[in-house]
Amino acid sequence: MRRTRPHRRAAALAVAAAVPLLGGCGIQESDVIEAGGPATVEAFYNRSEEVILFFRTPDGRLNPVIRTVGSSPGFGDEYTEPGPAGTIGPPTTEKAIAELLTGPRPKDRAAGLTTALPPTRPGATIKIDPTSGSTVTTHLPFPLKDLNTTALRQLTCTIAYSKDPGGRLTVKLTGQDGGSHSDTCGLPSGTPG
Amino acid sequence: MPRVLLIEDDPAVREGVELGLRRRGHDVRAAGTGEAGLAALAEFRPDLLLLDLMLPGMNGVQVCRQVREHSQLPIIMLTARGDDFDVVIGLEAGADDYIVKPARPEVIEARIRAVLRRMDDSGPGRPAIEVYGELTIDRVGLTVTKAGRPLSLAPSELRLLLHLSAAPEQVFSRQQLLENVWEHTFHADARLVDACVARLRSKIEPDARSPRYVQTLRGFGYRFGPL
Amino acid sequence: MIPLPRRGRNTEPAEGRRTGPEERSRVRAFGLRTRLLAAFLLVAAVSAGTTSALTYREARNALLKTAQDTAVSTFREQVQQTGFGLPVQEEGMEEVLRDLARKGKPRPWVVFAEYGSVRASSGENPVSTVITPGLRRAALANPYGSFERVVKDGVLYLTIAMPTVFRTGPYDTLPSGLVLYAVMRMTDEQINVDALLTAARDGALPGLAVALVPGLIAARSVLRPVRELRRAARSMGSGRLDTRIAVRGNDELADLADTFNESAAQLEDSVHELREAEARARRFASDVSHELRTPLAGMLAVTEVLDEDADHLDSDTARAVRLVSAETGKLAVLVEDLMEISRFDARAAELNADEVDVAETIRKTLQNRHWTEDDRVHAELPTGIRARLDPRRFDVVIANLVGNALRHGGAPVTVRLRTGERPTGTPVLITEVADRGPGIHPDSIPYIFDRFYKADAARTRSAGSGLGLAITQENVRLHGGTIRAGNLPEGGAVFTVEIPLHAEEATA
Repeated sequence: MRRTRPHRRAAALAVAAAVPLLGGCGIQESDVIEAGGPATVEAFYNRSEEVILFFRTPDGRLNPVIRTVGSSPGFGDEYTEPGPAGTIGPPTTEKAIAELLTGPRPKDRAAGLTTALPPTRPGATIKIDPTSGSTVTTHLPFPLKDLNTTALRQLTCTIAYSKDPGGRLTVKLTGQDGGSHSDTCGLPSGTPG
Repeated sequence: MPRVLLIEDDPAVREGVELGLRRRGHDVRAAGTGEAGLAALAEFRPDLLLLDLMLPGMNGVQVCRQVREHSQLPIIMLTARGDDFDVVIGLEAGADDYIVKPARPEVIEARIRAVLRRMDDSGPGRPAIEVYGELTIDRVGLTVTKAGRPLSLAPSELRLLLHLSAAPEQVFSRQQLLENVWEHTFHADARLVDACVARLRSKIEPDARSPRYVQTLRGFGYRFGPL
Repeated sequence: MIPLPRRGRNTEPAEGRRTGPEERSRVRAFGLRTRLLAAFLLVAAVSAGTTSALTYREARNALLKTAQDTAVSTFREQVQQTGFGLPVQEEGMEEVLRDLARKGKPRPWVVFAEYGSVRASSGENPVSTVITPGLRRAALANPYGSFERVVKDGVLYLTIAMPTVFRTGPYDTLPSGLVLYAVMRMTDEQINVDALLTAARDGALPGLAVALVPGLIAARSVLRPVRELRRAARSMGSGRLDTRIAVRGNDELADLADTFNESAAQLEDSVHELREAEARARRFASDVSHELRTPLAGMLAVTEVLDEDADHLDSDTARAVRLVSAETGKLAVLVEDLMEISRFDARAAELNADEVDVAETIRKTLQNRHWTEDDRVHAELPTGIRARLDPRRFDVVIANLVGNALRHGGAPVTVRLRTGERPTGTPVLITEVADRGPGIHPDSIPYIFDRFYKADAARTRSAGSGLGLAITQENVRLHGGTIRAGNLPEGGAVFTVEIPLHAEEATA
C-alpha cells in the first residue's frame, strides 16, 4: 500500500503522545520520601538520677539506654546548673563511664545490645579534666590502642551526653599508653518539635 | 418525343443537359431564370418541366408553386445540393420527382419517361369509372372528382391514387410504391411517397389528419380504404 | 469529430465500456469524509485525553499527598503519645503496638517496632515483608519521618517509618534507636483514583461525542465543494464545457473552485477554437464538393455525346475523349462520396427508417446491381425478418460490402442474414458478407474502414472512390450498429454488420 508510511508515522506519533499520558494512570510505587520530623516519645529519662549509655546494636549502630545510677552529691561538677550547695546533682561523668564499662545488663542484652569495650577491673581511676571551652578530656585506665571505633564512639557519646543534654562537646580520650583520640559524638540531635 | 422545359441558371449544366437530352431526341427549351422559364411556359407548352431548385431571383420552389397554381404539368426537380431540406420543400411544393445533380442523361431520361408514362393498370373487365364514397375515379379519362367537383391532381398524385385504388384494402409498402408508381429502385427516397401522399390527402380527404381514402398502416405502408 | 486514428474502434461494441464512477466511490472505505472525521476525532481525543490526564495527575497527586501527609502526621501523633523505657523491652511491646494500630486513622494500619534485635508488631508477623531496606536505612540514618509506596502482590501499600527521639534536656532530643513502622493498604486511595479515572473518561467521552457534531459539520462544509467539484468535472467530461462552480468563501477550496473555473474557461476556449477550425475544415470540404458538382453536372451530361461520337474520330482523339468521359464518371462518384462523408461529418445525415423485410431489401440490392444474374453472389436470406432500417442507407451498406468483396476478394461472395442478440440483450440483425479471396492482411484490419485507406499500396485508385467502406461504417453507425472486418479460417475476408432490429430506438 502506498499510504503505509504516513500511517506508520501517524501511529508512532499517537503512541508517543499516549505513553506519558497513560503511564500516569494509577498509583505507582514511590521512593522513600521524608515527611516531617521524628516522633518524640517519653523515655522517662531523669537526668538527675540516670545516665545515658551507648551500646552496640546487632547492625553495628549505637543505641542509647537509660540507666539509673542514683544521685551524687553536688561536688566537683561544674557542668550542672549552679544550684544551692548540697542539692542533689546529676550523676557524674565518671559514674557514667564506670557504668558503661560494666557493660550491658541482661535487659540490654535481651534487646540485642552489646559493648565493644573491654572489661575493666572495678575501682580503676577515671579522671576528668576540668572542661576547657567545648572540649572535655578524659583519662582512661586502659590503653586506647586496644579499642575499636565502636568502643571509642561508645565512650565519646556517653561522656558527651553526660556532660551536655545535647551531646555537643568534643571529647578527648587519653589512655594509659598515652594515646589519645578526640571526636564528637555525632549522633543526630535535635530540638523537640 | 416529349417537350422538355429546362430551367437552370448554370450555363454549363444548362447546355450540357440540353445537349444530352436533345441528343436523345427530346425537344428541349432552356431558360436561365425562373422568370424566363415561366414566361416560356405558355409559349413553349412543354410536356414536362425540369426545374433547378437553386435559381437567382425567383427560386425553384417558388416557380414550382406558381406552376402548380394553375397547371398539373409534370415537374422534376434538379437539385445540386443533397440537402434533404430542399428536397422536402420541393416535394411539398408539388414536384413529382427529383434528380440529384450531377446526373447522366440516361438517368434524367428514365425519370422523364417514368413521370410521363400513362398509367395503364385498368385491367380488362374493370369498369372505367369507379366510385368510392365521394370520390369518382375515371381510369380511362384519368380524372377524379370529389362530390362531383373535378380535382386537379399532379401526375404523381393521380398515379398514386390510381395505383392504390386499383387494389382497395391492399397494403403497399413505400418501397413497393416507389418501384411501381415512380419506377424508382426499391431503395429510393421514401419521402417521395410520403410527400405525395400528403399532397393527395389534402386534395381528396375531408380531414387530412384522419384520412379516409389513403390510410396509413404504421410499419407497413399505405392502402386505399376500407371506406 | 476530429479524425483520430481508429485502431480497433470498429471491432468493439458501443456500449458497456464505461465503468461507473459511483461504484468506485462507494467502494472507497477511507474517503475524505472518513478521514476528516477521523482527524477531528483524533484532535478531540488527544485534547480531551491530555486535559483529562493532566487534570487527573494533578488531582491524584493532591489526593495522595493529603492522604500520605495525614497518615504520617497521625502516626507521629499517635506514637508521640506513647512512652518506652530504654532499652526497649520486648515484653508488653505488642500490647502498645496494638493499641497504636487500633487508633489508626482514617484506616487501620499494622504497626511494627524495631529496636536493636527487638522486633514486634500489632499483627501476626513481627517483621513486615512490605517494608523495604531503603526505608529502614533512611529511618535509621536520619531522624525524620518518611514514607514509601510499595506494590506487593498487586496491592499498593503505604509504609511509614517513624524514628523516635526522646528528650535529653529541655531543648534537646536524642534518637532512641526505636523505629516504628506503619503499613497500610492504599485501597481507598486506589478507589478515589479509580473514581477520578472514570470521571476523566466520562468527561472525555462526551467531549468526543460533542466534537463529532462540529466535525460532521466541518466535514460537510469541506465535502460539499468537493462534491460540487466532482459533479462539475463529470459534467465537463460529458461535454458541457460551460460548466462553472459557484465560488463561496475565501479558503483553499474557493481557490480550487476558481482554478477549476479558469481551467474550464480555457478548455472551453480551446475546444471552441478547435471546433471552429474543424467546422471550417469540414465546411471547406463540403463547399469544395458542392462547387465541383455543378461543373461535373454539365460534363456528365455530355459524356454520352462524347462516347457516341468517339467512334467517328481519329484514334488518338477518340482515346482522349473516352478517357475524359470515363474519368468524369469516376470524378462524379468521388464527389458524390465526398458529399456523403461531409454530411456524416456535419451530422446532417438523417436516418429515414422504415420497417422493411430485410431479405427482400437485400435481394433488391443485389438485383438492382445485376449481381444475381450469374453465380458471383450467393445469398442466404431467411424470410420473415423485419427490421426498422433506412432502406436507402442499408442498400448502400450491402452494395458497398458486396462490391468491395467482388473487387478485392473473389467470387463467389456470400451474403448471410440472421438475427442474434447482443450481450446486453438487444436483438440485432446480423449480416455477413464473405468472399473467397485472399483475405485481408491482419495489419490492415484496424485501418480498413479509414478514408482513402489502401490495403494494397500498389493498388490503383481505379478500384473506387476509397470512401466506400468509410461510408459503409458511417451508415451502420447511424443505425446504432457495428461493423467488423476479419478473415475466415477457411480463407477469404468477412465483414459482419450488426444493427439493432429497431434502429430508431437504438439511436434515440
